[in-house]
Amino acid sequence: MTRQVLKKGIKRGIHFLAAVCFLFIATAFSSYAADGTVQVQLDVKKAGPRAVESLTERGVLRDYQFAWTNMARAFEFSSPDLLEGAFSGDAKQELRQTVSSQQRSHITRRYVDQSHQVEAVFYAPEGDVMELHDTAQYQLQILDGDKTVHDEHVVVHYIVLMTPAADRWVIRELQAVPQF
Amino acid sequence: MARLLQFFSILSLGALFCGVCGAQDLHAPSNVTAGEDVALPTSGSGKATFYLAGPGISQKNDVTLGEEIRLSGQDLRYAGDYTAILCSDTCHTATFYVTAAKPASVIFLVHPSRVPVGQNDAVSGVAFPFDQYRNLITVPENVNFQLSAKDASLWSRSIRTQNGVAWFRANSGKSAGPVQAVASLDDLSAKRAVQQVASDPCNLRITGQRTPNGILVQTEPVHDCAGNVVPDGTIVTFTATGPNGKGTVDAPVKQGIARAKIESPGTSVISVASGVVMGNEIRLGAQP
Amino acid sequence: MKYAIAIILVAVTAGLMVVGLFVTAQAGGTIGIAKGSALHTAKASTPDQALNNLLADVQRRNWDRAFANVVSTGGITEPAFIQDWIGSNGSVRSFSSLEGFEVRPLHETNDEAQMRVHLHFSSPVGPIEDVRDFHLVREGDLWKAVWPKVEIPSVPAQVIPVTYLRWDLVTGSAGDEWGAKNVDSPHVRIISMNAVDSAQGSVVMGEVTNEDTVPAFVTVNATLVDGAGNAIDEESSFDKIAHVLLPKQVTPYRIDFPNLSLKNVKNVHMDVKATLVPASADPVIGVMNQKIETDSQGKSVLHGDLLNQSGETVNIPHVIVSFYDNSGKVVWVSDGYVDRALLPQSTEAFAVEIPKSLAPSIHNFHVVVNQYSLNNS
Repeated sequence: MTRQVLKKGIKRGIHFLAAVCFLFIATAFSSYAADGTVQVQLDVKKAGPRAVESLTERGVLRDYQFAWTNMARAFEFSSPDLLEGAFSGDAKQELRQTVSSQQRSHITRRYVDQSHQVEAVFYAPEGDVMELHDTAQYQLQILDGDKTVHDEHVVVHYIVLMTPAADRWVIRELQAVPQF
Repeated sequence: MARLLQFFSILSLGALFCGVCGAQDLHAPSNVTAGEDVALPTSGSGKATFYLAGPGISQKNDVTLGEEIRLSGQDLRYAGDYTAILCSDTCHTATFYVTAAKPASVIFLVHPSRVPVGQNDAVSGVAFPFDQYRNLITVPENVNFQLSAKDASLWSRSIRTQNGVAWFRANSGKSAGPVQAVASLDDLSAKRAVQQVASDPCNLRITGQRTPNGILVQTEPVHDCAGNVVPDGTIVTFTATGPNGKGTVDAPVKQGIARAKIESPGTSVISVASGVVMGNEIRLGAQP
Repeated sequence: MKYAIAIILVAVTAGLMVVGLFVTAQAGGTIGIAKGSALHTAKASTPDQALNNLLADVQRRNWDRAFANVVSTGGITEPAFIQDWIGSNGSVRSFSSLEGFEVRPLHETNDEAQMRVHLHFSSPVGPIEDVRDFHLVREGDLWKAVWPKVEIPSVPAQVIPVTYLRWDLVTGSAGDEWGAKNVDSPHVRIISMNAVDSAQGSVVMGEVTNEDTVPAFVTVNATLVDGAGNAIDEESSFDKIAHVLLPKQVTPYRIDFPNLSLKNVKNVHMDVKATLVPASADPVIGVMNQKIETDSQGKSVLHGDLLNQSGETVNIPHVIVSFYDNSGKVVWVSDGYVDRALLPQSTEAFAVEIPKSLAPSIHNFHVVVNQYSLNNS
């Protein structure tokens, strides 16, 4: 009798552990997928008056993708800390206000399957500011708690100002416009 | 026949009822300027929930259909795209853009903060016009740039913004000293200071004499090739080569002149350098 | 039975305590000394034993016993003897400890002996090696060291005005708008770079200058890149550079890549970073009597004297030297710390070693003095 109870207990324990492991793996894959859906293509041919160096181009591409990934997470989870390190100045202030507004109203938003076609249109002579034009496409979902109140595939044009910080490029201005 | 009539009556009533409750609608405003109050007309009747999602705002309110939804200028102060959603049984969405207001400030970046005199395209500046809510103004504007030193204008130009930015490059002047750089748009302006400094020392010349305490050597006033005295603190290296070996002293310039004392008995050759610029050599005999 | 383990443990512990108290004292051994013979012989009947006793006691900072191994008629006092070992004025020596030593006889008769000792110090700036010759004499049955009178610079009391330039740095307030904090980093430039293979690995060296009119804190990094463009290794110059450069000042730099050969290296990426830093043009240190000679061990050495021309004590002087061939190319960079403080208006000797293989090709050299003063920390 005791042995049978023990066996049952062990079986249940194994099932529980398997479920937990599956949950972790599933979460990991979904995080990976979330990172993987932010696609960015950068074209620097038209940038001037200063030519964009190849290292700078790589850095801007990497940091722009990082910024949008973090911004999407900040909006999805209403967490302002995720905006640190990728934004500065007015952009950071505005995004933090968006997040705190979300926290008050319990509204969240998701930017899913992002694709950004980015063109550098201005690079300052001293290399201390770059203007980008981003034609962004994504699935915009707005949720009230668990209820989706808006789900639409959108194409939005952004004017972006990026400046070099200590070890990366950060977004200082992020402004949507009707057209470039 | 009566049944048919009954059926169509019920159908019409139902359609009417559903038409009433499904008739909520939201009309997007056009040409909204940042900071401007806006009223969104709605149609239909009954209660609904209104959502507004945009830059700096995520709002949810209960509203009455058929009445205007008032949005304050404070809610619409950031330029960008806004999504207004009205939900009753179903949800209706309207998207609109808020554009920047009129210019209220100019962000002006100037480089470098210190520039050697007489250099081509050495000074550059970039200006961005912003409205009072810190939205970038993308509509072309004329920005006037001016460089002046001691109330005399060195350079000025008016440049139209493209994609919200105007920039310039200019030569540095011939005289060392502070230069004021100004970017102005209508009655708005931003000022920055650039320090013009002497270039590399030119015609570095030294004199020396032997004293009981060693060789005292000093430079003539150290200028650059344009005649500007080099700043105090510029390091000048004196080297004395004699029978006991070599002696060197790194001495800072004070009021245009660098001085040093070097111990070097016997006949010695003294030379001088500052950075990568070499000066003359002098020969001093042994202590008598 | 159940108490057996406890009894055994107590017994073993007590036995080890007895061994530790009594047996170690009889053996006279010292634990923890890495190099050199640290055995103390009760009666130093040979010069080797006497010198070992003296140095072992110095190592343990047993000054009374150490000084007992010094000739009493030599003219040196115990306080001066102690200060000679432990340093003063915040010098490198005052933060160092004698880790080990090796003794080698040079010459010995019945009554006199000359011994050469290689001393190994550990210090905050890394290991420091020193070589000293000791003269020992027999006094009765015992040998003792003759300690030379220590010359302490005698600086007369005086007032020395400081009129050299000083730079302070004012950072802007947090509320400054974008573009208002318009103070650029100093402009510095690498003026030469040379990559060579050495016995310890690869070395990248050269000179860098501050082209600006404000002081700069400079660091130089190098990345070795292979033919495919991949980085092999990245290193920094650490302390083989004078980090604070005044306007138009030139410093050598040396970056070591231990155990790495240049044969797979196709490119060297240099990166020089400069930041604004408060600084002073004082103190001014002259470098006199610079000469390359061969020392008593047959090594090529550049030696000279540092002369402090100011009124401030330089606690830790650091000498960095760039050596040039006859075409003006930097072929080596050596550095060394002077383990004694440089008092105002005083001199201290310095010496840096040159690799034997390079000595014949050296045509010229340039000495830069880096310095650390406690007052300026």
